Amino acid sequence: MSSPGVLYYCPCSGCMGADAQPEEAHAGHALSDDGRQTDETHAEIAPPLDASRRPLTTLRTWPLEKLYYCDDCSQVRCPHCVIDEPAGYHCPNCLFDVPTASVRSEKNCCARNCFQCPVCTHVLAVVETESIQHSGGRTCFALACSVCLWDSREIAWEFEKPTGISAQIERARASQPAAREYASLLDHWRAVQRAASGATLPPAPAFKSRVQPAAGAAGLPSYIATCYTEPDREHMAALLAAKDATAVSSVDNMRRREPQRIRLHMKLARRCRTCHHILIKPESKAQATRFKIQLMAANFLPTITLPPMLPRTRAAAAAAPELLNATPLRVGVTAPVVLRFANPLYTEMDVDVAVGRTDAALTDILAPQFTLPPFAEIWEYDEDEEDGGSPDSGPSTRRGIVHQHGNRIAIRLDVTPQAPADSLTLPLRITCTHMDDLADIDAPDLNASRRVVTNVVWAYVSLGTVN
Amino acid sequence: MGRLHLAPQALVCKNAIIEGDVQIGNGTVVHVGASIIAKNGPIIIGSNNIISERAVIINHNSTPLMVGDYNLLETESQIEGRGIGHKNVIQVRGKVVGQSTLGNNCVVGAMCATDPDENVPDNTVLFGNPQARRIRADNNNEHLAIHMKHLEYIHEMLPRYNHIIEAE
Repeated sequence: MSSPGVLYYCPCSGCMGADAQPEEAHAGHALSDDGRQTDETHAEIAPPLDASRRPLTTLRTWPLEKLYYCDDCSQVRCPHCVIDEPAGYHCPNCLFDVPTASVRSEKNCCARNCFQCPVCTHVLAVVETESIQHSGGRTCFALACSVCLWDSREIAWEFEKPTGISAQIERARASQPAAREYASLLDHWRAVQRAASGATLPPAPAFKSRVQPAAGAAGLPSYIATCYTEPDREHMAALLAAKDATAVSSVDNMRRREPQRIRLHMKLARRCRTCHHILIKPESKAQATRFKIQLMAANFLPTITLPPMLPRTRAAAAAAPELLNATPLRVGVTAPVVLRFANPLYTEMDVDVAVGRTDAALTDILAPQFTLPPFAEIWEYDEDEEDGGSPDSGPSTRRGIVHQHGNRIAIRLDVTPQAPADSLTLPLRITCTHMDDLADIDAPDLNASRRVVTNVVWAYVSLGTVN
Repeated sequence: MGRLHLAPQALVCKNAIIEGDVQIGNGTVVHVGASIIAKNGPIIIGSNNIISERAVIINHNSTPLMVGDYNLLETESQIEGRGIGHKNVIQVRGKVVGQSTLGNNCVVGAMCATDPDENVPDNTVLFGNPQARRIRADNNNEHLAIHMKHLEYIHEMLPRYNHIIEAE
């Protein structure tokens, strides 16, 4: 937070488990559904996080665009206090949406023709080429890389058909002696397990301690190898004599030269950790980039920024532009800081700004309470409503409100830094109250039953270096 | 100031920058904006090459720079060594730098470059970032047919939209 900006605090314990900070108990992040808290004075509010403890600050505060909002709990959620879950699987190459049942059976890889080049990991294309295995210029299909020009003919992979490459490979692999031996071993152990599960033996330790199956207990004959029938003494001797792994040309080395199937990608949905309400839900189609549900904090909480300039009325536009938030900060000198609040809701929002207790600076908020008008499209605003801060434009001008346009209000704070600092950070407690849109249908009087929703959020405004 | 010698079927756009003693073989196409600069020595380009836009062939040496046949120099590629062989592909922004030469059937990948002074052997592929190289195992047969089709298409379409230098 060394550059000027505004970060919001999330009061969750997230990945840190139970908190040990004593200041947490006094933090004003309680939620009340029935009105604002009016019983705290400005100077006594303890911020939940000491802004000078930089590492903790970066873990617990977030820019507004990274935060979510659970409207069931009426609370802010950060990326640490949400649960991720898969919302769909697709292949990043062919963009095929894989149904969840097939994901497990295909071992999280694409089941179609998507392979990775073993040399450069680029995607391989299926091409029709001259066959090397069969002489006479017959054409076959092979996998080829367009970046490094690797060809699957180098490992003798040639296919008859251009589709279903994975299936053709599986069939070729299944006929090799290693695969056949493995399959018969698997059948044997399944039979032993079925027999043993009927008996009262403790299953796992018994199998581990014996090389041969519990022939006596299970009553099954011991296993006989079907494919590797002759002991390959020379091969074993060579393996034992080898100095290191590179001297042995084992099956594993060959596997590394084979193209791997492309791994599937997941689309994630996010849920609130306490109430499991869905906060983010993307469309499960691979090509779609939109979201079915998108509960972002920016749609519920006011956006606070430090504007460098403010739009002005036509009359004032002729003069030189006024730069805000640009005065260099010095110890003991009162500097004006302008904060702009923008209301994302379609209803009015009452905002109450209080500064938390901090030794870094004395802050005087000139306009601690104000009402933000609702959000509406640009063309619905009259030009006459603009307020450039001139003293005689009527009752809409209040002390401390610098500018007001549409759904945004800019207020002024007078900040007097007390000590030199790398990054002066002010903790602000923002309390926002608005009437909920959805009325309770069952209540007799619709208007009176509207819930009043209050959110209290701490924002950390960092203003830059103090000399 | 040397002279430009064009073979009868060569297609060179008027907007190409050609300086010095340059010889261009049959069927070769030089696109708009390409530069062939024989600064200190001649450049001899073979037949049926495709030299794309903004490609640069520059000869700093006094010995001739020889470009073989059936090469494809893609956009913004650069050759400044002592020459290249036949059927090479120098991809976008690929470079043959310094005093290097390129053999036959090589591919210099996009943004890849040879070492400053080496004779790159035949069938080498330079690719990737960080750059790697390998020897290609195929014999580059299929590429020739596509290259000739490309050439045929350019010979047909380029004169319709660009001014061409008339061969003597």
